[in-house]
Amino acid sequence: MSGSSAGPAGDAGDDPTADAGGNPTGDVGDDQTDDRRGTRAVRARLDRVEDPELARSIVDLDYIDTIGIDGDRVEVQFTLPTAWCSPAFAWMMATDARDEVEALDWVREARIELCDHMHGEEITTGVNARDTFGETFPDADGGVAEVRAAIADKARVSTQREAIETLLDAGIDPEQVVDLDRSDVDLAGEAAHVSLDGLSVVVDAAPLDDYLNRATESGHVTDSDDTLFLTPEGEPIDADRLDVVQKRSRLATVNMGGQGAVCDALHRARHGPDGPGS
Amino acid sequence: MYEKDGEEIFVIDGHVHLWDARQENIVHEGGEQFLQCFYDYHTGFTPEDKQWDIDTYRHYGADKMTEDLFGNAAADMAIFQPTYLSDFYDEGFNTTEQNAELAEEYPERFVLNGSFDPRDGEEGLRYLEHLKEEYDIPGVKLYTAEWRGESKGWRLDSDDAFEFLEKCADLGIENINAHKGPTIRPLNRDAFDVKDVDDAASSFPELNFIVNHVGLPRLDDFCWIAAQEPNVYGGLAVASAMSTHRERKFGEIMGELLFWLGEDRILFGSDYALWNPDWLVDQVMNAELTDEQKDEYGVELDVDTMKKIMGENAAELYDIDIEEKKRQFRDDEITERFDLGAHYGGDAGAAAD
Repeated sequence: MSGSSAGPAGDAGDDPTADAGGNPTGDVGDDQTDDRRGTRAVRARLDRVEDPELARSIVDLDYIDTIGIDGDRVEVQFTLPTAWCSPAFAWMMATDARDEVEALDWVREARIELCDHMHGEEITTGVNARDTFGETFPDADGGVAEVRAAIADKARVSTQREAIETLLDAGIDPEQVVDLDRSDVDLAGEAAHVSLDGLSVVVDAAPLDDYLNRATESGHVTDSDDTLFLTPEGEPIDADRLDVVQKRSRLATVNMGGQGAVCDALHRARHGPDGPGS
Repeated sequence: MYEKDGEEIFVIDGHVHLWDARQENIVHEGGEQFLQCFYDYHTGFTPEDKQWDIDTYRHYGADKMTEDLFGNAAADMAIFQPTYLSDFYDEGFNTTEQNAELAEEYPERFVLNGSFDPRDGEEGLRYLEHLKEEYDIPGVKLYTAEWRGESKGWRLDSDDAFEFLEKCADLGIENINAHKGPTIRPLNRDAFDVKDVDDAASSFPELNFIVNHVGLPRLDDFCWIAAQEPNVYGGLAVASAMSTHRERKFGEIMGELLFWLGEDRILFGSDYALWNPDWLVDQVMNAELTDEQKDEYGVELDVDTMKKIMGENAAELYDIDIEEKKRQFRDDEITERFDLGAHYGGDAGAAAD
């Protein structure tokens, strides 16, 4: 294992120089005192990578083992809760991590290593060689894109509930809620303006913002005249079925939370409560 | 027999194994990884003072299993769910034949399921007939993610699988226990997909489909399918272990299951030896929904609900007459061995002594 210990999220931030001694190359020097170039910056990019199944950051989930910096090259090692975690999901996390780290302007190359996994070697080799999932796993019968879309759709369904709840709480009728198009909602800072036949209702923007991010990512609600809220199958909602759709949305959230608890317990069982870096 | 609020609850553990993961039985690295993954599940959801060492976990044997299940009367009966994994384990991991060793010693206490794999073709159909004839199996446990040579799994809605389900219907093998995950293949498909259950269940209304660990990590798809298919049931293995350390999550999952499936289609299972009913039963019986959860879901885990989940629903599926069993258990071999007479005295008063 090379590089500095990742530790729990945020602890490196208290002392940006703390990781320098752990770096075997030792040539990062002053870079470590610069938030923009140190492990803290790398961690901030990695924080944007989610475990697709849980829709939670891989930094929060403590999957990161080590971050090593050698000039303009960054090496990240990560471990998942089990050796059996879906290779498609592992692939997504590895490629997303690579792309996020390389988005830093001082990084020329990011090398990602998936540790202790049934397909760790193939995924590590494939991701760093910039191969596709299909090239890495020739016996796979399709691409990773559809898995990504299916997973993104879970997040769409899950976040829709609170967005709708916010509108219902503001006094908008179920009939009006299901009739809304994308263009009827205007996000402006902390407020969302919802147009209803010439009237405008102002609500908290956060739940709608969350929902729209997820919906767009899933490929739904992309055009201004698209219906704003949809069933899990992607169809417009009947007003008298809104309650059932809301309950299915709750169910999607419970599922993610339940699976999150399983993954977390397995992760702790495998690596101890402080994660793989300890 | 378990007693809660002065009432007896007959417990049928719907999901148990007698496995052999000793090094000498492992013939593929997948076998060792599989067992290690199981062990992480074990330690992750078992209170520290109840955890086993890895060697015991690899192979505990029929005698320890009998004591764990019945020694403190945590369970009254148990249902074997075979898992072959023949490519990983020389003699198989947990086959019908291995389970039969114990099931045939105490036939009044165990239900023995069989298994099939549609990739075995004609030979597989003959084997299924043999299992029916030899053991009179009332059901099968299916592991769709099992590796077999080049194949890394199969689907319940395939033509080949339908041929085997047809055979089950012909032979009167009514209970189809489907395991979904943990699995790593097929690689690119959603590896935990439960949607194949939907098609199979609507095509074979005469069969019962019990989905193990309630479809997690696809609880949402599972509940939605089960809400529409009356012959789909949820097996609580894994979910019930979440009552360790994650009681709130367990409550949410129970709330969803009771909301979408109702109290008649949920079956308790310890997944022994992943977890041990000798402490898990008590823990599940004492789990409570928070007030918030009771409001949200409009349901409760009261004694009547627990009676169904912990035993009556399985009894219904496997034609077990609970009252008859209680009479039988007053002086069967297990009762003699563990001195359980007071548990089967015939009325709640005797059990409470």
